Amino acid sequence: MHGRVKLKSTAQQEEEKRKEREKKLKIYVAARDAIFTKRMEGVLDDEALQLTQQLLSSNPDFATLWNYRREILLHLETVREEDDVQKMYEAELLFLESCLKVNPKSYGSWHHRGWVSARLPRPDWARELGLCDRCLSLDDRNFHCWDYRRMVVKMSGVPVDQELQFTDRLIGSNFSNYSSWHYRSTLLPLLHPESPDPPSPCHQPSHSSPPPSPQTHSHRVCEEQLLKEYELVQNAFFTDPNDQSAWFYYRWLLGRAEREEMISCVFVSREEERVAVAFSRPVNASSSGLMLVLDGQPQRVEWRSVHPHFRHSPVWICALPPGTISDIINEHNLTVHWTEKHTHRDCALYTGRSESWCRDSATDQELFRSELSVEKTSVLQSELQSCNQLLELEPQNKWCLLTIVLLMRALDPLGYERETLSHFQTLKEVDSMRSAYYGDLCSKFMIENTILKMEYAEVRVFSLSDKNLTMLCHLDQLLLVTHINLSCNQLLRLPPQFAMLQCLEVLEADDNAIENLDGLYYLPKLQEVSLKNNQISKLSDLQLLTSCPKLTCLDLRGNPVTQIANIQSELTELLPSVTDLLI
Amino acid sequence: GTQVKDVVIKSDAPSALLLDKHADYIAAYGSKKDDYEYTLSEYLRMSGIYWGLTVMDLMGQLTRMNQQEISDFIKSCQHDCGGVSASIGHDPHVLYTLSAVQILSLYDNVNVLDVDKVVEYVRGLQQEDGSFAGDKWGEIDTRFSFCAVATLALLGRLDAINMDKAVEFVLSCMNFDGGFGCRPGSESHAGQIYCCTGFLSIAGQLHQVNADLLGWWLCERQLPSGGLNGRPEKLPDVCYSWWVLASLKIIGRIHWIDKSKLRSFILACQDEETGGFADRPGDMVDPFHTLFGVAGLSLLGEGQIKDVNPVLCMPEDVLERLGLHPDLLSYSTPLVPAAIVFNRSSSSMS
Repeated sequence: MHGRVKLKSTAQQEEEKRKEREKKLKIYVAARDAIFTKRMEGVLDDEALQLTQQLLSSNPDFATLWNYRREILLHLETVREEDDVQKMYEAELLFLESCLKVNPKSYGSWHHRGWVSARLPRPDWARELGLCDRCLSLDDRNFHCWDYRRMVVKMSGVPVDQELQFTDRLIGSNFSNYSSWHYRSTLLPLLHPESPDPPSPCHQPSHSSPPPSPQTHSHRVCEEQLLKEYELVQNAFFTDPNDQSAWFYYRWLLGRAEREEMISCVFVSREEERVAVAFSRPVNASSSGLMLVLDGQPQRVEWRSVHPHFRHSPVWICALPPGTISDIINEHNLTVHWTEKHTHRDCALYTGRSESWCRDSATDQELFRSELSVEKTSVLQSELQSCNQLLELEPQNKWCLLTIVLLMRALDPLGYERETLSHFQTLKEVDSMRSAYYGDLCSKFMIENTILKMEYAEVRVFSLSDKNLTMLCHLDQLLLVTHINLSCNQLLRLPPQFAMLQCLEVLEADDNAIENLDGLYYLPKLQEVSLKNNQISKLSDLQLLTSCPKLTCLDLRGNPVTQIANIQSELTELLPSVTDLLI
Repeated sequence: GTQVKDVVIKSDAPSALLLDKHADYIAAYGSKKDDYEYTLSEYLRMSGIYWGLTVMDLMGQLTRMNQQEISDFIKSCQHDCGGVSASIGHDPHVLYTLSAVQILSLYDNVNVLDVDKVVEYVRGLQQEDGSFAGDKWGEIDTRFSFCAVATLALLGRLDAINMDKAVEFVLSCMNFDGGFGCRPGSESHAGQIYCCTGFLSIAGQLHQVNADLLGWWLCERQLPSGGLNGRPEKLPDVCYSWWVLASLKIIGRIHWIDKSKLRSFILACQDEETGGFADRPGDMVDPFHTLFGVAGLSLLGEGQIKDVNPVLCMPEDVLERLGLHPDLLSYSTPLVPAAIVFNRSSSSMS
C-alpha cells in the first residue's frame, strides 16, 4: 500500500501485466482455498504447513495463516519428542528469517518469531540478538526489530551497559539514528536510577505495574550520567548540525525537572465564604482525597473545579458552611489535606483580615528551571557559548536557534529576555511553517518571565500588555491576581482556564482579537472588564458575564456586537447590574 | 550537511479537489473482485470496507454503497467468541471488531452483531497490566488499546474493562519526546500517537499528555513539501495527514501546522485519472490513503467535506446521533462542549 509508484505503460505491457496477475491470482486463490478447507476440516498436518508457508512468504500480513501454523505447531508439540520439537521450531525460525528478508516490517512475522522463541525448549538468545544486529545494520529505524530486540534483551538478561554501548556504536556511525537516541532515553534511568520514592502505606506494591516511563520520570538519572549525556549529544549535533535526532534528545535533557507534587496555594475569603486551592498539577478532587480542616474540625464540603469543562483541574474551590468564617473578629486556622499524596498546606486567617493566603513562590517551586543543580550551570554556559559559535556558522539553523533559547531559559530567563525575543523573531523567519508554534512558545516564556518578575515585586497586579501574546497559559499561577492587563496582544479568546483567576477584580484586554469569553465564569470578585477593540460579535458571547455577580463596569467599544440593533437595551436586560456600560 | 528526506511536488500536480472522481473510485472499488490486489488484501477486508464507507459518508455519498450486502457480510464474520474477523474464514481480531462496529454505527445498526458477545470478546483481551492483546495469540500493542475503547465507546459499554489499568498501561508507553509507541519502550510513531491520544480522549485523561512537547514533535513532522511524515527522517505520506493532524486536533494544537502547505500536498496526492489518493504524489492510489486524504482535508476545514471526528475518524453527525463527544484539549479554537463524554453508560462518567 505504500511506496508503489504508478508507472505508465503501453497497451501491450498492460495486457501482459494483466495476464500475469490473473495467473498469480489463480495460484493464490487455489492455495488459500485449500488451506481454508483443511482448517475447516480440523486438519493439522505438514501439507498445511507447506501451503501456509507458500502464501506467507509473499503475504506475511495474512494473519490467519500464522494462527493456523501455530495451531499445527502446538499440535505437533504434543506428538513429538523434545529434540524434534526443538528442530521443528528452529526450522520455523529459518522460515521466518526468509520472510523477514522479503518484508522486514510485517507485524505478523515478528510476532510469530517472538511466539516461537518463547516455545523453543532451548532458545538461543545470542542468535536472536545477532539477527537484530544484522537487521538493524540494514535499517536502524525498523521499530519492529527494535521492539523484538527489547524482548530478547529482557528474556536473556543482556546488561543495560552493553545495550548502551550498542547505541554508542550506532550513533557514532550513522545519521538518522532517532531510534538509538530513543533507546538511550529508556536505558539511562535503568543504569543510574535515583533512589526510589519511599514506599507509601496506601499503595499496594503492584507486580504487574509497568515501569515508569522516561517522560514522566526524567529526573531519575543521576547527575554524573546526565553530564556525560550532554557531552555525547553535543558532539553529535556539532558534528552534524542537521541531525535532528540529537537536537530532540538534547531538548529532553534540558527539560524541566519534575515538580514536587504539592498544594501550591491556598486562598480563603471571608466575604465569599470560600476556599480556593491550587495544585502543582491537574487533579480530580473526588479521587484525590481532598480534605478541609477548619480549626481542627474536618469540614463536609463539596469541591468543584473552576469550570465544568474540567474534570481534572489545578484549581478547586469549595464553599464553607455559612457563618463559619464570616465574622472578622475571629481568627481561623485552615488546613487543606491532599491525602493521596500525603501532603497538606496551612493557612491562617487573622482577626481583622478579610482574606488570607499561603503559597510557595514560583522561584521556590523551581517552576521554570532545568533539572541541573546550580553547581553544574557552568556546563550549560559553555554549551550556550558553543551553540552561539555554531549559529555564526549556520545562522539559518532553526535547531540551533531554538536550543539557544532553551539554554537561555535554563540559565537566566529574565536576563536573556531580550535575546530570546530576537531569536524567536529569527525562528519565525527561517522556519515559517512553524511560526504559530514559535508564537505560542514565546508567549509562554513571556508569561513565565512576568510571573517571575511578579514574585520579586510581590504585588497582585499582573501586566502582560503588548507582548505579542498568541495564547495564555500558567493561569493556575495567577490565583491571587486582582488586576490583569492583557491589552495589545493577539489573543483570540479567554479560555476556560481563565476561570482560575478567582481573585480577579479588574480585567483589561483591549486591542486583541477576542471572540470568546468562556473563561469569565463565576469570577466572584470581578468588577471591571475592558474589552475595547476585539471581535465579540454576538450577544450570546456575553452570556457568561451574568455569572459574575460584582460586575459593574463593561467597555465593549470597537466590537462588532455594538453594531447590532438595540444593543444598548439588550445588554441592559442581560446585565442589569452593569451600571457603567460603554459601547 | 545532510539532505532532508522529502518529495518534490511537480508543478502539474493536482491542485483542485476532485471529490466526484474519488466517490466513483470507491464506489467501483469492491466490484472488481477478481483483482489481484483486492484478493491479496482480503486479510484486512473489514477495515477496507470501513475506509470506503467512511470516506463516502464524508463526501455525502454513502447511499451508493450496498448496505444490505455489507451487513450480511459483517454478520457472517462474527465468531462464537464474539470477535469479528476481516473476512469470511479468517480469524477474529480486535482491529476488525472495531471496523465492524464503526461500519454498523454509520448505518445505525450495531444490532446486526451480538453486542454483548462483542463486549465480552473485548473484555477478554485485556491483560493484567492493563494492556490489550489483538486476539487470543497475545500480541500487545497500544493500537489494540485504542481499538478496545473505541469499540466499547461506540457501544456505550466502557464499563466492561478496567479503565484505570488500561490508562496506566498506555501512559507507560509515553516517551522522552512526549510521544507514544506500541509497547513500553517503543519509539514514538504518529500512528501510535493517534491511537494513544484517541485512547486518552475516550478515557477522559488527556491532561496526562504533555501537549506542548508532543505538539512540537508532531508539528515537526511537516516537511518543506508541506506533507507530514510519521517520525523524524522519514518521507511524507498522506495517511499521516490523518494520524498527525488528528492527534494535533485532539491535543488542541492543530494550528501549529502550516495548513495551506499541507492542503497543497494532500491535493497533489490525488490521481486525476483514476480518482483516489496515493501515499505521495505519483504513486498508486488505494482506499486507505483516499480516506485519510479526505479526512485530513476535513480537519483542515474543507467546506465540501463533512466534519470528521478526530478521535474516531467517523463523521461528526454520526457521533452526534449516538451522543458521543470525546474530550479534546482546547486552545485557541472554540470551546468543545462540556465533559459529557459518553451518555450511554453512567459509569463511564466521573
